[in-house]
Amino acid sequence: MKRASLLLLFAVLLGACAQILGIKPPESRPFPHRVHVTKGAVTCVQCHVGIMNATDADGMHMPDTAKCVSCHAKPHDSRECSGCHGLQYVREGVEQDLDHLKFSHATHDKRLKGNCAYCHRGVTEDSDHVRPPMGICLSCHEHQDDFAEARTCDRCHKDLRGEEVRPESHVAHDGDWLREHGNRAYSARDLCSTCHTDRYCAGCHGITVPALPETMAFDDPLRAGVHRAGYVSRHSLEARTQPGLCTTCHDTGGFCGSCHQRMGVDVSSGGASPHPPGWLSVSGGRNDHGPAAWRDPSVCASCHSGAGEQLCVSCHRVGGVGGNPHPAGWSSKLRPTIDQPCRLCHQGAP
Amino acid sequence: MRRVVVGSSVASAIATLLALEGIASSDPYRLRIDAIGYTQAPQSPVGLVVLQGDDKANQWVDAEALTWMGNSSFNGNADVLTALVRLHDPRNYGELRLGRQILTVGALRPLHLDGADARLRAPTGTSFEAFGGVPVQPQFGYHAWDWATGARAAQSIGRDTSLGFSYLQQRSDGQLAYDEAGFDFASSPVPVFDLAAHGVYDLIDPGLAEAGISVAGRFGELRPEIYATQRSPSRLIPATSLFSALGDTPAEVVGTAVKWRMFPRLDLLPTLAVRDTAGDVGLDATVKATLRLDDRGGGALSVEGRRQGSGPDRWSGARVAVRVPVAARVGCSTELELVAPDDPRGRGSLWPWGLVAIRWVPVEHWEVAAAMEAASTPTATREVNGLARIGWSWGAR
Repeated sequence: MKRASLLLLFAVLLGACAQILGIKPPESRPFPHRVHVTKGAVTCVQCHVGIMNATDADGMHMPDTAKCVSCHAKPHDSRECSGCHGLQYVREGVEQDLDHLKFSHATHDKRLKGNCAYCHRGVTEDSDHVRPPMGICLSCHEHQDDFAEARTCDRCHKDLRGEEVRPESHVAHDGDWLREHGNRAYSARDLCSTCHTDRYCAGCHGITVPALPETMAFDDPLRAGVHRAGYVSRHSLEARTQPGLCTTCHDTGGFCGSCHQRMGVDVSSGGASPHPPGWLSVSGGRNDHGPAAWRDPSVCASCHSGAGEQLCVSCHRVGGVGGNPHPAGWSSKLRPTIDQPCRLCHQGAP
Repeated sequence: MRRVVVGSSVASAIATLLALEGIASSDPYRLRIDAIGYTQAPQSPVGLVVLQGDDKANQWVDAEALTWMGNSSFNGNADVLTALVRLHDPRNYGELRLGRQILTVGALRPLHLDGADARLRAPTGTSFEAFGGVPVQPQFGYHAWDWATGARAAQSIGRDTSLGFSYLQQRSDGQLAYDEAGFDFASSPVPVFDLAAHGVYDLIDPGLAEAGISVAGRFGELRPEIYATQRSPSRLIPATSLFSALGDTPAEVVGTAVKWRMFPRLDLLPTLAVRDTAGDVGLDATVKATLRLDDRGGGALSVEGRRQGSGPDRWSGARVAVRVPVAARVGCSTELELVAPDDPRGRGSLWPWGLVAIRWVPVEHWEVAAAMEAASTPTATREVNGLARIGWSWGAR
């Protein structure tokens, strides 16, 4: 009984939320293509006059009110039909296609012989989504061969970068893309660069980026970003959780130090120490800095680079309080008495 | 002094905008200018003018640039992020890129470089790339012998598989900073399956600096991914740093992420990862739900919960973000975040952060946005910040 009540409650909630979840069509009026074609026996070209000879230089071939009233002799309203019937974004999509795609209805009709529904499959489903998605194009056109040949999408797209749209049916940036994109991009720079310019990559990976894209687009909170929301508050937590990750973008030559100085979280400028109690002891107390440095030396380097390194070798040297800093089995092809940083300790060694 | 810098930057931007409005008149060029200001982000007033543009006037030449000026918290008062000319044959069998650029060459780390990058590609699927130049340094912190050079050779196998090998040597002040070799592999043998892997081997302190593998599938509305990474921080910092002598303590992660379009307008993204950081093993998890409020996704609501249960600093957090178009040219958004560290260490037990923003497109090409941000952080009990942006774009939608 209780289970049945819960199921009923779930069904009622689902029904109530059906529209917002996209299960039920919205209240606006998509154009009823199917009714016109099946019940009215209206052919596509009766409304979309001249479409069969249209090239990508032609206009939209959308019917106007005069065309509608040629059949619907007594319209229920004196306003433009397109004001209510048909969704605005569908028309905008058609305009975008005209702007951005090399497409000719005339060429396609030679093969399909008037079978418009072969591509416009939404017509048969009474959907307003009658623009064929790219997946339909790919069912005939071997675009992978085109791409393999010329490494561009120019055969169909006039200027893919200028479109600034995301593909829906292929190369979709699904899942946790921010984490995943690097691994995918290593082998596919050609593919990435068909849409993304160098400056797109530089927006995050540039050494002197003044503000990340998500910071610039503060009015779009759904935009993915590596330092979203209150990142400044939690940056120390995240940095310690993922050792080395910060280094993949930030230089270790003072990026952290410059901000810590401004914030007053920096001993060298007379501010508070960012290190918790028990960080350093030379008299046998807690010495948390050791495990932290082993775990992620890049965090240490981000503040203590340059002259700060001398601080470490004052203790961590053979015969010093900290002893030999090298772990067992450590090796390097650097020349100990010549190369940095070896010569900090090894200069003058026999 | 800062006010003067910010003021002059904004004035320059307006003058540039007015000048460009007159000259912008043909199609292959795209320009965008944004002027942005924060009252204290982070912790000092910031004013920036960002100018970016590119053109594709001919089949064989592209050019692009991204510059900024103003007062940045970290990077001085101006810099060029990219200024690049790309020469290539129309079928892209050969390409030469000259100028300041971001180099992403196989598994090598992205390099910000002043230099040249040349690529050749054979119809057989073999490609070769070589690059060289001076790595970009913040605030002109260059040394006499700073340079980087490297190469990548790759082979495509069929349409859906590629394998590449790359090499980088970078010197700072003449000293060897990076010397590493990498491989990258990607394959999609069937339409529902993707595999990508990479690895970088440090040749100075021999060992794996970084490696990763990701396997993803596509099954209707479901896209599961399994991944694993290993990162060795001591090998990711330059070998000229004393801290590179501390030796190798790699951090390893194995995880999964599943994107599920549960309903036409509702996406779920749960992720789960096991992290091993120097023997400290823990579990990280997130669940994110995104509900589009209309078919086009103009309005959307996102709710996210997160638990960082690995590493020395564990925490839990929640985030809610809403974007609503309230009129044809006006949109509102808000974003709220709560973070609760397991061990506050006197920094406050809850760190809330919130932002309310409004965006207005007064006329075509122009865009204005303003926001108010408030937070309680580990270093400040109360912090309020105002943000504003004005943008002008031409040539792109």
